[in-house]
Amino acid sequence: MTQDPGSIQQTVPVVAAGASTLDRQAAASRRRALVRPVASLLLLAALAAVLPLGLRAVNAFTATGKQPESYLPSAFAPGPRRPFVGSAVEGLRNVNPAYLVIGDSMAGTRVDHRYLAKLTGRLVVPIYEPASASAYWYLAYKNWVVASGIRPRAVIFYFRDWMLTDPMFRLNPQHLDRVALQREPELDRIVAQHAQGTFFRVHAWLRDAYQYDRVRAWLLPLLERAPVALAASRPKARRELLDRMNNEIFNLEGLREMAAADIGEADLERLDFDRNLPRSVLPELLKLARENSTRLAFIRVQRRPEGNRPPRQSPELQEYTRKLKQYLEANGAYFHDEWGDPELPLSIYRDGDHIRRDKEKHTTELLVRRNPGLFR
Amino acid sequence: MIFHSLTFVCFFAVTVALYWRLPHRWQNVLLLVASYTFYGWIHPWFLALIFATTFVDYWSAVGIERWPAHRRRFLWFSIVSNVGLLGFFKYFGFFADNVVASAALFGWELSRPMVDIFLPVGISFYTFQSMSYTIDVYRGHTHARHGFLNMMVFVSFFPHLVAGPIMRATNLLPQVERERRFSASSARDATLLIAWGFFKKLVIADNVGVIANKVFALAEPDFYMLWAGVFAFCIQIYADFSAYADIARGTAKWLGFDLVHNFDHPYLATGPTDFWKRWNISLTTWFRDYVFFPLSFALSRRVDEGRRFGLRADLRIYAAATLLTFLLSGLWHGASWNYVIWGGYHGLLLVIARASASAWRPRRRVRKYLRPFQWAGMFALTNVGWLIFREPELSMIWRDLWLSPFQSTQLQHQAGVYLFLLAFLYSIPLWVQSLWVRFVPSDLAAAVDRDEPDVRFGRVLGQGALAGVMFAAILVLRSYTSLDFIYFQF
Repeated sequence: MTQDPGSIQQTVPVVAAGASTLDRQAAASRRRALVRPVASLLLLAALAAVLPLGLRAVNAFTATGKQPESYLPSAFAPGPRRPFVGSAVEGLRNVNPAYLVIGDSMAGTRVDHRYLAKLTGRLVVPIYEPASASAYWYLAYKNWVVASGIRPRAVIFYFRDWMLTDPMFRLNPQHLDRVALQREPELDRIVAQHAQGTFFRVHAWLRDAYQYDRVRAWLLPLLERAPVALAASRPKARRELLDRMNNEIFNLEGLREMAAADIGEADLERLDFDRNLPRSVLPELLKLARENSTRLAFIRVQRRPEGNRPPRQSPELQEYTRKLKQYLEANGAYFHDEWGDPELPLSIYRDGDHIRRDKEKHTTELLVRRNPGLFR
Repeated sequence: MIFHSLTFVCFFAVTVALYWRLPHRWQNVLLLVASYTFYGWIHPWFLALIFATTFVDYWSAVGIERWPAHRRRFLWFSIVSNVGLLGFFKYFGFFADNVVASAALFGWELSRPMVDIFLPVGISFYTFQSMSYTIDVYRGHTHARHGFLNMMVFVSFFPHLVAGPIMRATNLLPQVERERRFSASSARDATLLIAWGFFKKLVIADNVGVIANKVFALAEPDFYMLWAGVFAFCIQIYADFSAYADIARGTAKWLGFDLVHNFDHPYLATGPTDFWKRWNISLTTWFRDYVFFPLSFALSRRVDEGRRFGLRADLRIYAAATLLTFLLSGLWHGASWNYVIWGGYHGLLLVIARASASAWRPRRRVRKYLRPFQWAGMFALTNVGWLIFREPELSMIWRDLWLSPFQSTQLQHQAGVYLFLLAFLYSIPLWVQSLWVRFVPSDLAAAVDRDEPDVRFGRVLGQGALAGVMFAAILVLRSYTSLDFIYFQF
């Protein structure tokens, strides 16, 4: 059978026209097949981003929405705060000590203030706050010691490694509330210098957009207190349960001895002394001391020894310490480094960098013996 | 680089944006660069190790196929290299400590070599994955690959590199080799999976982890405090590990890969066998295929027929192979005796369950009523296991197991109940999800964790709402104490 060439010629454009229609339909169908899933993905992302804005609405109906501005707006959102402990100012004024020791548990396990008073024959007041750091020490010195108007012979700070030049370390409202006034512009300015990276910007943007910190401020305590009613039957026991649990069960004596310290080795960024000094509380602290004619002393504690040797120090840490010492002494402060002291062997350490309770007198004596100039 | 960091979010966004613009081969090149960047971020030195593992197993597999007469030697070369690498980095200190302690028992004083070996993150996972490839080639389950790039991507694929799930070559390598297409539906599911993973990690695991850490920091916890802490750890380890697996699966899905499920609501298990079908499934099946089966086979050729110690031969073989496999599995988790004991404990539970099942099998009607008791019993036994797992001091484990509730003071009792309830409060979403999956018809239950693409408007709206609620919860309730993923240390 033969086919008329003319009919073929007529058929080809028809088929071609049909094919292009099919192509268009297929392309449209492919587009539709893609559009719906992509739209659903975008819808999911949009809902995930928009729904948490409801937290703002929650705030509008609660008292937390009307909280006053934080004393460190660069770090904390507005929220309820524990009161400033103003009684400490009056207390210091009444006692008028010759020496003050300020620090975290490093000072708390190294200096027995009663024994130090006995050794020096002068009054000693400790300001120990476990898990505190330079921001807390600075505020305690400014708002308690300086505000009390006393002129102690020396204010002694105990610190580890890089802590004096890192105000962001342990920047915790739970501690700071007690020593912070309604506004802390100097500390806020220092904190703001650290809160400039992308991480902080994103964090601050999220916080402002969703206002989640305000919800957190009332929701978390509510969650944490909710089980109390079931755990304790009597109202008095309910009120006291959390405080008693923390003070009687989770106190330092009830904890295990651990070799690991609560802070690790510093990274290189933290050991860049020249970069970190202007962004730390140290210049402010020294300025205040000069203005109030008070001598500041800084004791760098030795970290936990390794076997019979003092712990190793990286070249960067050694360089950091050298510069810190130079800076402090140039600004009229006293500096002492415990590192490498043969009378601080591993056997006197409890857990991490803490000293055993029964060796507290030994380390207090050591403080006086190694620093005669400070206690003269 | 860790998942819950801004660095990872940026890294992943850039990777995905570039990835889907490239042809297949360049996608694999990008994956390799991204994976090595991800791993090298922790420590650049780790890259040498992962490269060495890949190199050895690649050539071992090629050798197995090219020189059949020496295939056994190539297999052993691969196994010894991988186990040797793992042994040196993970178990050297453990081995040295035990040699010194054993010598001291005989009055010999040996000094421990002062070598600080830093455990490379994820080494336990990628050595097992890479080793399984050469074993599978040896067994003829897959063929040796001649593309080194694909092999490198298979070993180092970043979403699951540091904490699994452990993928098999037969599953992951074909996915590396074939072309992948972007699927918006899949990406939507992946996003929800990632959000659920972050929620479990940041809201549940990190919050209950604080409770567990506090209790296990006590020198002498009482009965109530201890078991509240164990319960908190039980929730923490599941939320933490399954969170990693979900984020890993979600990120892999964004890149067009499907990773295996590693968990199937393990705390709904009604017996030891059921538990191990649901917990860390990829590791359990790895040990089953590469340790348990070969061991059982080897033992079956040596064990006499007939009863010994009142046990049939098949039960004796099962018991020996199971105990040995689980002791090794325990040791895999960490270089410490408590992990070995934990493995042995679970092995023993499996053997007892098998022996009792062959001795007594209740009727179907009775089984239905027994199930809640079986569930409660298994949950209690799992918690005993977590006590052993969490407590590194053996003397403390012994002490803890003999604690009596009558020795506690009223304050300890109240504090223990309080901590238990607080941990339970944070864990409610986990229970809701597990119970939903157990009791709600499967198409609804799969809304959170589905594999099939679906674009029904109502479902998308539901998923979006769920993602929004999880994001809000992460913002408000996340713990400020950020803990590392537990399985990073293994």
